[in-house]
Amino acid sequence: MAQIPNLDNSPLNLKSLREQSLRDLVKILKDIRGKKCLVVEPKLGGTLSLIIQTSLLKEYGIELRHLSAESVQTDCSKVVYLVPSQRDLMKSISSHVHDDISKGLQREYFIYFVPRREVQCERILEEEKVHHLITIGEYPLYLVPLDEDILSFELDLAYNQCQVDGDTGSLWHIAKAIHKLESTFGVIPNVRTKGKASGIVSDILDRMHTEEPMNSPDMALSEINTLILIDREVDMVTPMCSQLTYEGLLDEFLRINNGSVELDSTIMGVQQEGKKMKVPLNSSDKLFKEIRDLNFEVVVQVLKQKATSMKEDYTEITTASQTVSELKDFVKKLNSLPEMTRHINLAQHLSTFTSKPSFLAKLDMEHTIIEASSYDICFEYIEEMIHKQEPLVNLLRLLILFSVTNSGLPKKQFDYLRQALFTLYGFEHMATLNNLEKAGLFKKQESKSNWLTVKRALQLVVEDTDTANPDDIAYVFSGYAPLSIRLVHNAVRSGWRPMEEILKLLPGPHTETKRAGFTSSPSFGILQGASNGLDKIADGRRSLVLVVFIGGITFAEIAALRFLSAQEGMASDLIIGTTKIVNGHSLVETFFETFG
Amino acid sequence: MANVSVAAEWQLLYNRYYRKPELYPMRWKNIDLSRNKVACAPFGGPIAVIRDDSKIVQLYSESALRKLRIFTSSGVLISDTVWKNPGGRLIGMSWTEDQALICIVQDGTVYRYNIHAELIEPNVTLGKECFEQNVVECVFWGNGVVCLTEGGLLFCIPDFKVMSPCQLAETGAEDLPNCMAVIEPKYTVSGNVEVLVGIGDGILIVDEDSVQRVEGEMVQGPVQKLVVSWDGKYLAIFTHDGRILVTDINFKGVLLEYNCESALPPEQLAWCGLDSVLLYWDDTPLLMVGPRGDPVHYFYDEPLLLIPECDGVRILSNSILEFLQRVPDSTVTIFKIGSTSPAALLYDALDHFDRRSAKADENLRLIQKSLPEAVEACIDAAGHEFDVSRQRSLLRAASYGQAFCSNFQRDRIQEMCKTLRVLNAVRDPEIGIPLSIKQYKLLTPSVLIARLINAHRHLLALRISEYIGMNQEVVIMHWACSKITASLAIPDATQLEILLDKLKLCRGISYAAVAAHADKNGRRKLAAMLVEHEPRSSKQVPLLLSIGEEDTALMKATESGDTDLVYLVLFHIWQKRQPLEFFGMIQARPLPRDLFISYARCYKHEFLKDFFLSTGQLQEVAFLLWKESWEPGKNPMASKGSPLHGPRIKLIDKAQHLFAETKEHTFESKAAEEHAKLLRIQHELEVSTKQAIFVDSSISDTIRTCIVLGNHRAAMKVKNEFKVSEKRWYWLKVFALATIRDWEALEKFSKEKRPPIGYRPFVEACIDADEKGEALKYIPKLADLRERAEAYARIGMAKEAADAASQAKDGELLGRLKLTFQQNAAASSLFDTLRDRLSFPSVS
Repeated sequence: MAQIPNLDNSPLNLKSLREQSLRDLVKILKDIRGKKCLVVEPKLGGTLSLIIQTSLLKEYGIELRHLSAESVQTDCSKVVYLVPSQRDLMKSISSHVHDDISKGLQREYFIYFVPRREVQCERILEEEKVHHLITIGEYPLYLVPLDEDILSFELDLAYNQCQVDGDTGSLWHIAKAIHKLESTFGVIPNVRTKGKASGIVSDILDRMHTEEPMNSPDMALSEINTLILIDREVDMVTPMCSQLTYEGLLDEFLRINNGSVELDSTIMGVQQEGKKMKVPLNSSDKLFKEIRDLNFEVVVQVLKQKATSMKEDYTEITTASQTVSELKDFVKKLNSLPEMTRHINLAQHLSTFTSKPSFLAKLDMEHTIIEASSYDICFEYIEEMIHKQEPLVNLLRLLILFSVTNSGLPKKQFDYLRQALFTLYGFEHMATLNNLEKAGLFKKQESKSNWLTVKRALQLVVEDTDTANPDDIAYVFSGYAPLSIRLVHNAVRSGWRPMEEILKLLPGPHTETKRAGFTSSPSFGILQGASNGLDKIADGRRSLVLVVFIGGITFAEIAALRFLSAQEGMASDLIIGTTKIVNGHSLVETFFETFG
Repeated sequence: MANVSVAAEWQLLYNRYYRKPELYPMRWKNIDLSRNKVACAPFGGPIAVIRDDSKIVQLYSESALRKLRIFTSSGVLISDTVWKNPGGRLIGMSWTEDQALICIVQDGTVYRYNIHAELIEPNVTLGKECFEQNVVECVFWGNGVVCLTEGGLLFCIPDFKVMSPCQLAETGAEDLPNCMAVIEPKYTVSGNVEVLVGIGDGILIVDEDSVQRVEGEMVQGPVQKLVVSWDGKYLAIFTHDGRILVTDINFKGVLLEYNCESALPPEQLAWCGLDSVLLYWDDTPLLMVGPRGDPVHYFYDEPLLLIPECDGVRILSNSILEFLQRVPDSTVTIFKIGSTSPAALLYDALDHFDRRSAKADENLRLIQKSLPEAVEACIDAAGHEFDVSRQRSLLRAASYGQAFCSNFQRDRIQEMCKTLRVLNAVRDPEIGIPLSIKQYKLLTPSVLIARLINAHRHLLALRISEYIGMNQEVVIMHWACSKITASLAIPDATQLEILLDKLKLCRGISYAAVAAHADKNGRRKLAAMLVEHEPRSSKQVPLLLSIGEEDTALMKATESGDTDLVYLVLFHIWQKRQPLEFFGMIQARPLPRDLFISYARCYKHEFLKDFFLSTGQLQEVAFLLWKESWEPGKNPMASKGSPLHGPRIKLIDKAQHLFAETKEHTFESKAAEEHAKLLRIQHELEVSTKQAIFVDSSISDTIRTCIVLGNHRAAMKVKNEFKVSEKRWYWLKVFALATIRDWEALEKFSKEKRPPIGYRPFVEACIDADEKGEALKYIPKLADLRERAEAYARIGMAKEAADAASQAKDGELLGRLKLTFQQNAAASSLFDTLRDRLSFPSVS
């Protein structure tokens, strides 16, 4: 099975988007004549694996390399760098060029920036005195379909950059990506935003509409009905909780990257000592599609059940005489055997983590924090974590959860914990803590926490969730309904108005706009647009909602969204856009900045 | 019948009819073509006229200075200028495709004029050889020229857009050629220009690097004149013995041969479309020769100029302009005398209809079946007419016929009407572009509009582009720029209003481009006002920078939300202004400020410190210093030998002092102080233990290392130095002792006094080290029964665990423990019984 997901069942024609990206890339590579060495930034390389198979690159006479500090070893006289527009990469490229010059190598250099060239990068090339040696181009890859209902803008650092550095470049990128989507699928008439960054994106998007109006007549029909922009800042509680869906757990323990996990082949039952293997995880795998969003407890049962039924079938086959058609059915079932083994292996591997008492204790603590009933117990638990010097990420995750639900800690305890952290983990973490404080994730308490009110009003804690037959999204965290998804649910169902009071308690402003879209185009445009709108409702097609998470979304939240859209009475399909798929670990890690 | 008069004007050449409708009576006065050098642009383009300095002419009441005058095809003066260019005689003059006038003078200098008779700088020269040898002849084509020097060398400008001359291969002949013709690059196989040179007894084909002699019988003896057809496929040759030959461009086969009975070559030889060739001597009638049949003679008593077009020839005389063309087939079928074609009958039927004659119906019945083609023919014929009333009657006939057709493409008539409206508009004598429909199609509407704009016919261009649904942006943009150039005296505010009034007609027009033009014309203020209206920040901001509106640029870039634009402005100002000025500009603007900080944090530490100092953010400077304090440690080369802690501590101390300046940062100040202290102690430890393992570990790691090394005194010292709390001390020591598996010391430690952290850490440390026996020493000391139960469970002692749990009366715990003992059936049942016992009382 391929890592590139099959997108046939997508509610939008994402395939055409992906093909366009592929064509753009191939054009760039073809336009540079002859043999060349393509140097790709590793993370971007991961992203590209969702668009193109690396084997295909070889057909264009390409040697593929990953960008690193070391200079490029190749016989090709043309070196093509394909990199995101990040400042820090420019230094390595410049040093490569200088290195070649000092060795007397004459090469042609190209840099293709993804998604566009930026002055700040070129400035560094200029300062390094290599700018004039390099041909600069752009590869406008603003988004990548991760799966049939997920689009990623591939902005790993978006949240950190916005919250800590005040660098809103990623927001422009998101707006541009949505704008590009609109140029393919029509202007989205309804926009609802919550959170500061969401507001900015929506503003930039509006600006783009006035700067480059879309007035060609075939734009009148809009495939996407509503855009919901949620700033991660609004809900930092959810990502800090341990995800309990199958896919969520896989991500927590094994890290899913670009729709696949890499693990020891022994885990997958392949006897090759020490070898790593990649296991693709996307909806092209039918079994995975079925179980990815279930609570892990249930997954174990489902797999067990399936295995048993297969075993029964097998015994039947071997004992009784069978008709040909029955045999055929059985063989068909056997086809799913590789998928079965794959997920049984994975699930087994996961349960070695989930059965640990420390894991259960952590879950327990997360729920205690969310319940916000016993402050002291939580504080002591965290203190003990520090004493035991547990991994810093784990500690910070819980600390953030604790701080956010309490809207900060009283100064005395804040200083106490900080001091303890320095004592045990070292002073070099000053910068990390400073970043977290700037982002408001671990800070001094300045006002009373709204968490209890919000929790109650949105029913975030649901007792007695039946994980096997869930009737509420709370199943994804075994009892905690993610705040972010509760918001989305309300936004899809009834808009912001009925819940204004609650929204005011959460960070950042909220807006709700209806875009006229075609006001300045000739009158027939309006007529056409209007009638189309009516047609759509009449023919009973489900409207499509694009939910964009600025700052990342977790698999558990995705599961909850899929659960919602599958509910009866939900008249919309959901497509998810995100800066990146995140989990508590990866989010916290973006804030890491150690001195030294 | 009315039709007869139409055909009466036609001439028959073999089996083809020709006509030459008058396009315009020339509106100019006192222009004598024979006294002047004249260049006429094809596609009804302008006419450039200048007194011919190679002829001796009598001056009437005119200045001795020559004047270059540019007229429309109808003879309306567009512009004139005095010719004062040095370089000798004017040899060649022609229009380019972009309607620039190319004038080549003797010394090889190329002057270019636009249609407004303004010299386009810079002048180009054909090179040193031309300068030395003098140019004697030029042959132009649409976009290039070949020049011949007195020395017989050929030079070429292959593309007027590039204007880079090159020399062609040398012919080696001693004599000068009799005649030359050019095959345009687009028609040659090589894609380079080829020149046909009639020289000596034959023809040479010359290109950039080769000369080739044409073999073949048909060219025997010197050739006097050569002309290539407009499609580059045929060649007309006038031979020394007075014959006119037409061959295919590769000299294969003679398509036409006619003996003109004059060995004197014609002054002008021109193709009329592709069907016939015109020859003109100035004292005999104009001769038109076709492939067969007798030639046609046209009589004129004035000098003529033949202007070849793709579908005919325009004939310019002093007083009129005519268009000689083969009568289109559709027109022939309708107007040919005695024609009974369906189209002719349809046209006739309309006439009857207008006269209320019943014969109209009769005609229609006659052609019922072929009505669609009749309608089509009428539409087509209308398209070819120059006469508006005839266009009208033909279209009426078409429309009349269409009414009886069920399946006819109805928009054909409408389309033709539209085209004709455009054509009639530009054919108006005031505009003077007499395009035929074929020329119009070939030229394309957008080029026509470009030409109108170029001639400053903006209103007409705007109307036309609106009428045929083209983007008006080009027109309005050009108008705005011309307006700015033309009216430098109008005050900015008024000018702005005038411009905005028109610019708003077109959505998405680039105000920035207009503003840039205003700036180029020295109207900086107007530019600033215009650029204000540009909606696209990506265009607006760079322009604002170039006109020095840095503050506005920064504001606009920030508003756009496009960080790249903000950076663009930042770098610009950063480079141009003094640091303090720069800081002042960004200080109050969050986005630019943050972007600057983020950039400078990576690459310009010192500059960033200056910024923070200027804004009084001392703590930020302190953070930077603190961060720098790690730098020396990173460099492995530096760490050899000299003690590093000195400079590092100095930096941290500095940071600490800065933190201390503000009240809010006492915590950081204290932390920095401790850090410095820690580094000192660690350094001392490294010196005393002679092991470089302390620096850059945390306080607790330092203590742990001491314990692990068995240096308990040092550990104690560090503990006291940093006032490490008892609790933390216990945690540390317990795990440190467990790491070195010093169980004895651990037990001793547990007995020193009652541990402030209880015994659980002891238990955990032992279990983690997989020492059950050691763990058992502490488990019974656990005060909490639940903890005790779990601890037992963890080392696999089911019974003890169960006992403790049941003592704790915790059913849930029992259940959980049971799960952990799932594999062990005996233990599992044990839990069940215990739980049953527990739940029993609660039920009762």
